[in-house]
Amino acid sequence: MEERKLFSQVGEKEVTRAIVGEFAKQFMDYVESDCLIIGGGPSGLMAGKELASKGVKTLIVERNNYLGGGFWIGGYLMNKVTVRDPAQAVLGELGVPYEGVNSGLYVADGPHACSKLIAAACDAGVKFANMSIFDDVVLREGNRVSGAVINWTPISALPREITCVDPIALESTFVIDSTGHDACVVRKLEERGIVKTAGFGAMWVDMSEDLVVEHTGEVHPGLVVIGMAVATTYGLPRMGPTFGAMLLSGKKGAEVVMEKLG
Amino acid sequence: MKGGHRITGLHLYVEGLISYLSVREIIRYLKRWMKGSDIDFRGNFFRYHLKSLSKEERQERARRFAQELAFLRIRDVARRDLGDRRPMEGEVAYERRRIEQDNFRSFGILYDGFGFQRIFSSLISEDERYLNHCHIIFTNQLLGTWDEDDHRYHARVSVYGFPSLISTTGVVEAPAKPREFYLKRRLGIPLEVLKTEFKGRFIDYGDSRLTEILKGYVMQVLFFHMTGNPFCDDPHCRLYNAHWQEELIRAQLDGDYGFCRSHLRFLNRHAGSRKVREKGVGPSSRGH
Repeated sequence: MEERKLFSQVGEKEVTRAIVGEFAKQFMDYVESDCLIIGGGPSGLMAGKELASKGVKTLIVERNNYLGGGFWIGGYLMNKVTVRDPAQAVLGELGVPYEGVNSGLYVADGPHACSKLIAAACDAGVKFANMSIFDDVVLREGNRVSGAVINWTPISALPREITCVDPIALESTFVIDSTGHDACVVRKLEERGIVKTAGFGAMWVDMSEDLVVEHTGEVHPGLVVIGMAVATTYGLPRMGPTFGAMLLSGKKGAEVVMEKLG
Repeated sequence: MKGGHRITGLHLYVEGLISYLSVREIIRYLKRWMKGSDIDFRGNFFRYHLKSLSKEERQERARRFAQELAFLRIRDVARRDLGDRRPMEGEVAYERRRIEQDNFRSFGILYDGFGFQRIFSSLISEDERYLNHCHIIFTNQLLGTWDEDDHRYHARVSVYGFPSLISTTGVVEAPAKPREFYLKRRLGIPLEVLKTEFKGRFIDYGDSRLTEILKGYVMQVLFFHMTGNPFCDDPHCRLYNAHWQEELIRAQLDGDYGFCRSHLRFLNRHAGSRKVREKGVGPSSRGH
């Protein structure tokens, strides 16, 4: 009697062809996009979800293998994430269960919230280039930001003499910097003397989430800054581990891009 | 303590959205002490003082003030380098929104308090720039002043002058919380956990006791105007210059009496108040 197999018979070469073929097809397509988001943390994912759901061709570049940044855990390595009113509405939109702690403060499971946000971005049509690290900006007339230069993340971790591997460039109408406290894209413009950031804020004010959302916007033609990168860019006070500002800043960043795209 | 300037006009303003501030209650309190003064509430400071200008002039002034305010942001509390860095467009746009919108919610940026005061001062009309007029602005913005002793900026609850500024964010952020709070914070214990543990030992955002606390700071403004010295050495007097939250709570909420004997006597004699005894009368304060 013939032995029954659960999975169909496929050779190694077919598996490799499928990976390479599909990756290359998508990568070719996204060499040019409407919006390139650098950083796949909560603000970047939120912005990506909002943009892609409105038909904006969006690619998120993430240096890690995993997406979600610090959204998996809250403070002190504890996997509960908190948001302040009105950001719980976003959790509701994503279908994340949450509970009220006290007036205006809500808590949710980090893994549940983060995985739902990633899934929502994927469902909306966002594409990802993970294990890819931002290297430089693409500038056009008037120093308008028009894309990003990226490389494989492992390249940056190896000695230069071993890995003299040139990066590649992606073009886009808008770039969003959602690289957190590093504000990598804005910093790159600063290195070139195009903008001057303020660095971390002078004070710790635990209710400064509003400031991040308020300052979210186009920091230089073609470059929108969101999330904690906003705090670095404008020298805003540091905050506690609440994620409401990240989610709402991502939403606002997407609105800014939508408005500019017309 | 000798008799001082008499205040005939006391003008109150707000800047930004401030929860648990009851201006009406503060006016009621002030009327007990300042019987001969006209006390009015004028709403948003910018709106009140710019209202007489044409729309174009208003926009031009708002644009200029926004630029000036953006220059007053303190980046590094250990450096006195205001004006060395040109503000980013996003910062100016933010200040513009703050000027043009009532009940602006955002706060937390540390501004140079005296610079802030200079900008506000330039808007006060000539006929109200006399010692008999006292302008008090309640702001939700955080203000700091440079201290020559340790060469750093320090957050303040109040900056006295023309006008006097009282920062409600400063009430929370300026007086230090208990030492153990900071030690535990450094160990990484979440803020919410610490807030529960230290509940009642410091004033937090959204604290319903804010109006009661602000009454004491308003009285400090009045003493600044009347005598040149807003403070008292008595830790139970509402004029005590609290550097710790626990001192603030004692002076403004849990003190044995409202004012020390000498300040109460001064109020009864010189400020036109009815004779008032608040929670008993304290001992005479020194140095006034």
